Amino acid sequence: MSAYLFYLATIIVYGAVDAMACLALNVEFGFAGISNFGFIIFQSVGAYVAAVLSMPPSATSNGGFQQYILGWHLAWPLPWIGAAIAGGLLALPFVFLVGKRLRGDFAAVGLLVSAVLLNVLVKDYVPLFNGDAGISIVPAPFQSHWNPQGLTYQFIYGGVAVVLTVLIYYIFRRVTESPYGRSLRAMRDNDIVADSLGKSLRRQRTTVLVLGGMVAGLSGAILVGFISLWAPGAWGYAETIVLFAAIILGGAGNHKGAILGAIIVPLGFEEITRFLPPLSNPTLVPALEWVSIGLLIILFLWFRPEGILPERRRILSGALGTAPLEAPVVSGENTDALIKLGNIDELDFRKLLRMGDVHSDHRVILSTEGLTKTFHGVTVVSDVNIEVRQGSVTGLIGPNGAGKSTTLAMLAGTLASSGGTIFYDGRNITDVASHERAQMGLVRTFQLASEFKKLTVLENLVSAIPGQSGDSFFGALRGQRFWGREDHDNIERAMEILGGFGLAHYADTYAGSLSGGQRRLVEIMRAMLAEPRVLLLDEPMAGVHPNLAHKIGDQLTRLAEGGMTILMVEHELSIMDAFCDPVIVLAEGRVLAEGTMAELRSKSEVVEAYLVG
Amino acid sequence: MSSFGFGLMTAAVLAIATVGFTMQFAVTNVLNLAYGSVMINSAFVGYFFNARGMNAWVTLVFGMVTGAVASWALNRFVFTPFQRRNLAPITVVIVALGVDLVGTFGLQAIVGGGYVSFRIAPGQEYHILGMFLSGMQLIILAICAVVLVMIHWLLRYTRLGKAMRATSANPNLARNSGVKTQMVISTTWLISGALCGLAGTIFAMNTGVFEATSAQLYIVMLLAAMFLGGPGEPYGAMFGALTIGLATEISAAYISPQYKEVVAFLVLLGMLTFRPYGIFGSEKTN
Repeated sequence: MSAYLFYLATIIVYGAVDAMACLALNVEFGFAGISNFGFIIFQSVGAYVAAVLSMPPSATSNGGFQQYILGWHLAWPLPWIGAAIAGGLLALPFVFLVGKRLRGDFAAVGLLVSAVLLNVLVKDYVPLFNGDAGISIVPAPFQSHWNPQGLTYQFIYGGVAVVLTVLIYYIFRRVTESPYGRSLRAMRDNDIVADSLGKSLRRQRTTVLVLGGMVAGLSGAILVGFISLWAPGAWGYAETIVLFAAIILGGAGNHKGAILGAIIVPLGFEEITRFLPPLSNPTLVPALEWVSIGLLIILFLWFRPEGILPERRRILSGALGTAPLEAPVVSGENTDALIKLGNIDELDFRKLLRMGDVHSDHRVILSTEGLTKTFHGVTVVSDVNIEVRQGSVTGLIGPNGAGKSTTLAMLAGTLASSGGTIFYDGRNITDVASHERAQMGLVRTFQLASEFKKLTVLENLVSAIPGQSGDSFFGALRGQRFWGREDHDNIERAMEILGGFGLAHYADTYAGSLSGGQRRLVEIMRAMLAEPRVLLLDEPMAGVHPNLAHKIGDQLTRLAEGGMTILMVEHELSIMDAFCDPVIVLAEGRVLAEGTMAELRSKSEVVEAYLVG
Repeated sequence: MSSFGFGLMTAAVLAIATVGFTMQFAVTNVLNLAYGSVMINSAFVGYFFNARGMNAWVTLVFGMVTGAVASWALNRFVFTPFQRRNLAPITVVIVALGVDLVGTFGLQAIVGGGYVSFRIAPGQEYHILGMFLSGMQLIILAICAVVLVMIHWLLRYTRLGKAMRATSANPNLARNSGVKTQMVISTTWLISGALCGLAGTIFAMNTGVFEATSAQLYIVMLLAAMFLGGPGEPYGAMFGALTIGLATEISAAYISPQYKEVVAFLVLLGMLTFRPYGIFGSEKTN
């Protein structure tokens, strides 16, 4: 009987350790979109640090048969705390890898390689953690007072592990179900766009990696205190893949899914194979275990990519006290023709977009001097000087390849310029990062679809609102009581704008399932809610029904009258005719002309550039 | 100087492998992390025939065919269907890791965990430019040199090579200009797969003893060589492989053989951090 109880206690500890690890990796991968292929090193560093903090100095212990650093002989819980700190600190060097410039899969490969590298180093450099043989006889907490082999001890140990897991679950939930969690998921769905709306990718990713690293480190500490040994063989890089399999199977972006996955994959697999009869080929069972993990990943990603417990859709409109809105079922292909704006003319933009008391003084608010961009030695934008006046709707036209979008991207900071200077509101912003420009009020939209797919329409809009008190890690930790009221107001504002654009019924629909025209509208609304002072629009009317385009144009004019400045790249000349003054013509990367459309039409070189280009 | 000889061997094998790897990335934008498992499976197919009395050099052909067919099938039946679903690029990389586990440990389940080696005569030892190279090593170097020249010829002077480069630079534009991109992609996976199979087999010959998991960490060397020369650049891959191959072996001789891979790791991390598009490369447009 007691053999089963010991077994049960062991299962509880392993289960808690795996659940913690999966919860942490899920916050990184499932919520923030960081594919941390090196996750296992965070757990193992925690295990090593907890071990050497709790062990006596290397020279005096056990006749010095093992070598290791530190050996501080600290009492519980200091080794566990140390492990969590070490796991968090380990995240810091990777900040360079997860900054915004690097593709997600490249960063993932970098983390994978770091895991392999660290394993090689620990294995070969014996003085650090006793090399390949690993560290053994790690003291269990309080072992001088209680017998760690006793059943009561083991159950208490398991109980503490479970309590910590539950605690972590609640902390994580608090973080992810907040405005900050919304920003993390926005970054996951489209990092470049999140950056353009003022989210600091580096900061968000660093925070998540540190948080995940701390929990991973703690889980390692719990494990090593229980099994009393830790060696490089236990944390090959492939162990991370096991945890990925667990999260994919359980459900990425769902905390309960992560726990379920932890129970099924790492715990389940270990335990099932324990009961298999011994075979003549000792490598066969582990080999088949790895094959099954590989197949699990492939099959789940194909047949059920959302996992057993999919990510929950957040019904934000529910917070307004109205009944949840169901998206209308539309039959037929072209739903764009059916889009009808709502009471948009009645919207009070000045209030909704918190524009304050700006008065249009028509001074130059955004300008460039000699702005240049070269790719592979080809000059795409050459020595462009433009001036955008406050309160204007300035148009930017030109044939394909004229450098319009490139210019816009450089103004917003999405692309670095190769030469020249950009001034915004009297300040040289050439070297200011794009998310900081957005925070200063210089916000752009994108030519290609750029909605956050797995955020609802309402979440897309609210995520853009600047200055949310719940949109930081510590703000989120303070809980809904701290940010709830403000969030409620934000949702209300977003909902009003959504109604004005006639999309109220789609508030709780995933933005990824909208039609092309609807997504354009969401993007325009989202950029408006970022409360820009200068709005840079990259072909906002592409794919939008002409009637609708003109109605949106009217609203842009209203915004400009209210003090917002708009610079718009557009192909459709009728839009330029109706709404833009002045219009700047780019051709072959240079400014060809500038003036009202009527003036431009009289210039032969402009007409020629358009006809020839 | 003898470490230079070792380095040359490592570099030659690595160059073949990296060119295949980087070509796959170029035309399909997939970091095929299952590459190492295809290499070792090809090596075992070669070994299967070698152990039954076939001349080791002839078995290279079997290795190449295995690599070509397996890689083509992998792209056709796994990567392409996943990519058609318009998932995040990382999904395909995770799938590739899953395939790697299935390939490597499926092989281990079949052949067991023991070490094997090719039956091959090392041949006479030659003393060339201060390096000691066996006859076998000279043949390997010759094969690698010939294959690299053929790849150069393919890319520079054939219609197919031009189509490959066009597909790699901009698949949509290539398709609109009349390039049959699907054909080009399939052919590229066949050719790069053959390189993968060849590299796997000569890697196994050159290592001496090998087993099912021997190529598991080779992916790190591949990645280091590829990122050094710029991802998707076949010539960059050759340059990267030469540098990494020589650097690892020379550092093994002068620092410590235990840390020889560390150089590759550090190069890779450095490149990813500071110049992810290679020493000569710059960020792609779009």
